[in-house]
Amino acid sequence: MSCGKPHDKDCAEVLENLFLFLDHEIEEASYAEIREHLDECAPCLAKYNLEQVVKTLVARSCREPAPPALRERVLFQIRSVHVEITDIDPGLGR
Amino acid sequence: MLCTLPPRDVGPPRVGWAPMTTDLEGETPEQRAERFERDALPYLDQLYGAALRMTRNPADAEDLVQEAFAKAFAAFHQFKPGTNLKAWLYRILTNTFINSYRKKQREPQQQMTEEVEDWQLARAESHTSKGLKSAEAEALEGLPDSDVKDALQELPEDFRIAVYLADVEGFAYKEIAEIMETPVGTVMSRLHRGRRMLRDLLTDYARDRGMAAAGAREARGEGS
Repeated sequence: MSCGKPHDKDCAEVLENLFLFLDHEIEEASYAEIREHLDECAPCLAKYNLEQVVKTLVARSCREPAPPALRERVLFQIRSVHVEITDIDPGLGR
Repeated sequence: MLCTLPPRDVGPPRVGWAPMTTDLEGETPEQRAERFERDALPYLDQLYGAALRMTRNPADAEDLVQEAFAKAFAAFHQFKPGTNLKAWLYRILTNTFINSYRKKQREPQQQMTEEVEDWQLARAESHTSKGLKSAEAEALEGLPDSDVKDALQELPEDFRIAVYLADVEGFAYKEIAEIMETPVGTVMSRLHRGRRMLRDLLTDYARDRGMAAAGAREARGEGS
């Protein structure tokens, strides 16, 4: 889907890089080009907005504080188990 | 004549758990515990939120977080101060989850990931309607948190974790790659597919809610 107007960067290329743009994982020059394209191209902007909404929704919906009992258990662990700290495999290697 | 090859690209710098033997050598266990409590414990809520999304139930999430913190504490002398503690903790959490919780269900998980591709393709084709995007975005914004969590639960685990790390925690792709021990390209594809599935699921939820609301209006005789 395209707005039919000519752009410096075409819609397919913009849409392909939409997530990179959204996540700020793109170099500055491309970022500016995509920004410019989105300013001019309503269909691409709509797609971008939708992805942005989904990203924001996930961030908004998933924040949950740990139960106080869990905090206490973890604290207890730290305060009582520091007798010997050994080279236990922390699960960093698989 | 032998050519001197440039050093091989060994990939991005690791998140930072090179053995640390300098400054901290004289640290007593008490001091280390204090430092852990001060620096690592503030991430408890965040790790719990992630654990909930991984395990999908509060009891397992608590156990997972407790186990991850125990491992992190035991290995804390290996953590290099000044490097990314949050990513280090997330890597331990993710590893603990994969090793302790996922192992037994690894087979079904892989099958599920493959099934998803066909299902997803079918969906992708059915979602080519034009022109309704901003209304769609608005509908999604109005969804309750519980719908978003439900939708996330439906994603295959690797997609779910990648989306969570990127969108909730704001980790860079490179960091997610290290946390999940996978190439950056794989992270990108998990994010891409996970978000597409999530968007489609949320769109369905929004549509269902919209229809339910319209039905209720009709039942009350308000018409359309």
